[in-house]
Amino acid sequence: MLEKLRVIISNIREKKGDAPLEKIREEDDLRNDIGFDSFDLAELTVHCEAEFNVDIFEDGIVTSIGEVLDKLHE
Amino acid sequence: MNNLFWIDHDEKKTYHDLINDLNGINFRWRYIRESVAYKVFLFIIHSLVNDYPIVLLDGDFSDDEIINNGFSLEEIINKENIHSKTINSFDDIKKCFNNLNNWSITLLTSGTTGIPKKITHSYQSITKAVKVSDTHREDTWGFAYNPTHMAGIQVLFQALLNANPMVNLFRKDPKTIIRIINKYGISHISATPTFYRLLPANIDFPQVKQISSGGEKLSENFKNRLKKLFPNARIRNIYASTEAGSLFASEGEGFYIPTKFKDKIRIEDNEILIHQSLLGNSDHLTLNDNWYHSGDIVQITETEPRLVFRFINRKNEMINVGGYKVNPEEIEEELLKNHKISAARVYGKPNPILGNILCADIVAQGISERDIRSGLKLQNFKIPRIINFKDKIDLTRTGKTKR
Repeated sequence: MLEKLRVIISNIREKKGDAPLEKIREEDDLRNDIGFDSFDLAELTVHCEAEFNVDIFEDGIVTSIGEVLDKLHE
Repeated sequence: MNNLFWIDHDEKKTYHDLINDLNGINFRWRYIRESVAYKVFLFIIHSLVNDYPIVLLDGDFSDDEIINNGFSLEEIINKENIHSKTINSFDDIKKCFNNLNNWSITLLTSGTTGIPKKITHSYQSITKAVKVSDTHREDTWGFAYNPTHMAGIQVLFQALLNANPMVNLFRKDPKTIIRIINKYGISHISATPTFYRLLPANIDFPQVKQISSGGEKLSENFKNRLKKLFPNARIRNIYASTEAGSLFASEGEGFYIPTKFKDKIRIEDNEILIHQSLLGNSDHLTLNDNWYHSGDIVQITETEPRLVFRFINRKNEMINVGGYKVNPEEIEEELLKNHKISAARVYGKPNPILGNILCADIVAQGISERDIRSGLKLQNFKIPRIINFKDKIDLTRTGKTKR
């Protein structure tokens, strides 16, 4: 799960010209550590829904990798 | 006048600083293309004090977008030296606002036909929704819009005419927003639904007295979230546009036409029609017997004792992306400028963060998604975030791309 999420996140970063991430950690903040803005977060929801069939922002905002994983495990 | 006017990070400008900065300007610009919000405000107020017309351009417009809007790159940097009026007090500024003969403000909005519209407002027109009174004296505004767009200008005038401070929240991350709202005791916020959606659910702001949003139908679920975030705030959903400014507000889904606009707004075939007298001037607005067809489709829910209606959708194809209006035709045209792309279809897909996320289906060969995106010389919100490579794209019977 974490690896799939890393690939999704790295793809989003690469498309906007940022380097892919070799590692992500549960405590990473989506904005401050991953570098995502609201448009990137919106893109993340689309890819997570396509890959895991889960709307990670359905009940409000999630801010860290750990919170995204919690949503995906629910 | 040591009251604060503008706060952004560690930069603080009092009304006294504003006056000094106004007095220090010895030129005028017809076109304002600034990214720094305080400078946008400074030049707007300078144009009012010295009574000359201005055109606001987004600070992040690319040169291509400037040209596509019908301007030349030479004309927009033209400066004219002038002797600015000397201002000694805030009252001097307000006095200037009452004696305007030449001032107007022109804003740009995406046109439905692919041609951007220029809308010119007078001072009366742009400030018609501003409320000035003692009850607003202690308001502190969170500024959460692009400063060159209609919504941002509305907040500027509401704050300025009541001598309130504004604190910059635009494009800040949620953690910073939370810190700033609490640190400066922000009492009023006007922002896009996306702005509020990005605030975490486990927090509240009891000191905020009023929040406004607009541009989208507010769902019950979303309104309940807002009530938890701002338990003591009046929640207002505002109907506004670049063409008409702010026209009416609702506390829930049901809007009604204020008495003062009774004869100037009507509903015909479920579409909102706005009388010319409420609009800015533009060569690009099509009027039918002095009435402007807004394209906003409503459903009437009550007729007695007064007409109540709620918004259903828009008649035209503009896509609301995080509070920005995007014309899919403009993006398709930009995509097709790339010779490796032979067909393109741009559309919005509902999204929990942005309202709609911009998607593009394209027929292309030998080009990556990254190259397509980086090749688009457009503002960030106009860049499709989901690009699907297709073998062909369906056209409607009239030859238009199907969205």
